Amino acid sequence: MKREKLDIKEIFLKDERFRTSYHFSPEKLKHSLKVVGLLNPPLVALRNNRFILVSGWKRVLACAELSFSPVPVLITEEKDDLKTFLMAFYENLATREFSLLEKAEILTRLKRFGEDEKRITQHYLPLLDTPATLAYLDTYLAFSQFEPEVKKAIHEKRMSFLSVKPLVEFSSQEREWLLPLLLPLGQNKHREMLEDILEVSKKNDTPVQQILFSPEIRAIQESKTLTPLQKADRTLLLLRKKRYPALSSMQDSFESLLRKMDWPEEIRISPSPFFETENFTVTFDFENEQGLKASLLKLEELSARRDFAEIFKLK
Amino acid sequence: MPLTKRILKNVGRVPIELVSDSRGFLEERRISRDAVRQGKKDLFITSQKGEFIKSCPCTPRYIGCNYFIINLDLNCPLDCSYCILQYYLPDPILIVHANREDLWTQLDAFIDKNKGRALRIGTGELSDSLVLDHITENSKDLISYFRGKNPVLFELKTKTVNIQNILETEPASNIVISWSLNSPRIARSEEKNAPAVEERIEAARRVVDKGFFVGFHFDPLIRYPGCEEEYESLIERLLNRISPGKIAWISLGSLRFPPSLKPLIQERFPRTRIIYEEMVSGSDGKLRYFRPGRLDLYRRIIRSIKENGGEEVPLYLCMESVAIWREALGWVPKGKGSLENYLSSPLGNSKV
Repeated sequence: MKREKLDIKEIFLKDERFRTSYHFSPEKLKHSLKVVGLLNPPLVALRNNRFILVSGWKRVLACAELSFSPVPVLITEEKDDLKTFLMAFYENLATREFSLLEKAEILTRLKRFGEDEKRITQHYLPLLDTPATLAYLDTYLAFSQFEPEVKKAIHEKRMSFLSVKPLVEFSSQEREWLLPLLLPLGQNKHREMLEDILEVSKKNDTPVQQILFSPEIRAIQESKTLTPLQKADRTLLLLRKKRYPALSSMQDSFESLLRKMDWPEEIRISPSPFFETENFTVTFDFENEQGLKASLLKLEELSARRDFAEIFKLK
Repeated sequence: MPLTKRILKNVGRVPIELVSDSRGFLEERRISRDAVRQGKKDLFITSQKGEFIKSCPCTPRYIGCNYFIINLDLNCPLDCSYCILQYYLPDPILIVHANREDLWTQLDAFIDKNKGRALRIGTGELSDSLVLDHITENSKDLISYFRGKNPVLFELKTKTVNIQNILETEPASNIVISWSLNSPRIARSEEKNAPAVEERIEAARRVVDKGFFVGFHFDPLIRYPGCEEEYESLIERLLNRISPGKIAWISLGSLRFPPSLKPLIQERFPRTRIIYEEMVSGSDGKLRYFRPGRLDLYRRIIRSIKENGGEEVPLYLCMESVAIWREALGWVPKGKGSLENYLSSPLGNSKV
């Protein structure tokens, strides 16, 4: 390993074979460079008479933006791409956590540079805090094939493995359609929406496109009065009804019955979760004996009504 | 161990490996793209270090049937999409426990401790009771152990037609050979490597002809458009071929599984549609059909059993709620003795 100074233009940045980090903001690093300069030299390797960057992408790109040149670099004489890549991998492994997409890129590079799948699974996946199975490897490799705008969204929303995984099931075109629906949602709802779309599609043998461009969803998406979050929530609700029609219908009947009875807000009545048992729960708050008596009296009145019995016929 | 010798004799010429430490051997299989399928290709003969006999765990907040299981073999070479074993068993490998002497000792103690109870005990929970029977000959050993141990009822539960050893064994009044049945459509699409339903019924008929009692488990019942008619037609064919008087019991249970099994099914069986029916989280946290849907299915099947001559056949529900028992069967078992006595009645144990 030699230490030299290179004009920044001598580093051929178009060769990204060793690059695994794509989404970062160099602002803080630029500030640091201005104050103390580049303390840790990036690692470069010589390929086809060009210096290509092995590790230190963030540093070099920040230097380029600041027109810092020449820059100190370490030059490796290693010719084998896998061995060269492993230098960068282990250096980073020791000093920082990898994001979901970085893990995907690392695993893709390992495979591309000829590392055996079994070794990647047994040796590298545990180093990346990932279960050592080929199925996990396949999923990460699929993440690395996602479109740039999808990757950007995953990075910006810091999505977890579980919320990104359902995206593998969709085609590139479908992911593009899905993105505007997903962006306003939090992680849990994001996953819920993807699962509902997939499951409605599989259950009814309906193409995803037909679901996403159904008149009801289009009406929501094209609304001029709803905010992006409201649109996403309404779409989610609609998908839930398609996914769970019988449950939704029973919930609607229950709520409609309460409306018909003009059920008071201060006394809350709810069926067992998913109507799984025949039980109902009534709750109310009170602060003194009178309050308690008033609520009990009201309940007695409500339960004496003929339409109250309808509640027990919801089966 | 004698059982190991017997197995090695029965398997013929297959590669054999002596494993001193199972960890590396299991690790190799765990990393596979489909560890569950991979594990079905090897038979691991070892000793049962813990208890052979366990109470069937059933599921919290639903009615149990007081069943006891013998953990003789673990895992199964059949590959049913809905099978809980692919999630439940920690090691993806077919295991035979060869320390048979320990089993007999434990069984003696267990039966002695429960003297007088019409216990139901079987081997078909963590494996198929007969799928390896041509190799292990378990059925011969177990039937001869349980013969005459009334009121204890011993059940071998299977989806196979591997009945040669049964047909060579003298029947006993407290032995029940039972089959898991499903509609032919589900058997074809979801029960990989299992014989066709008609073959299973034919095997049951031969076992009845030999003099054994039989049982049937319609579990898991799976909903799909037209399923009711297909289950009804299956019941009609079944009760035309098997005399209801020789049926010890019929159980019904609808598809249910812990949520964590779902991604595994999706991954291993990408073409299956059974997990996309309307399922909700039950009181035990497992996914199961929305209550009206499964109640409707149970009612249709129960009616069909009764209309086809099975009025006297004991019926029970597996892992179901009080409400479903009441609405589908018209009664709810109270206490351990109630269900045990009910299920043992056709076998002459009703006065126990």
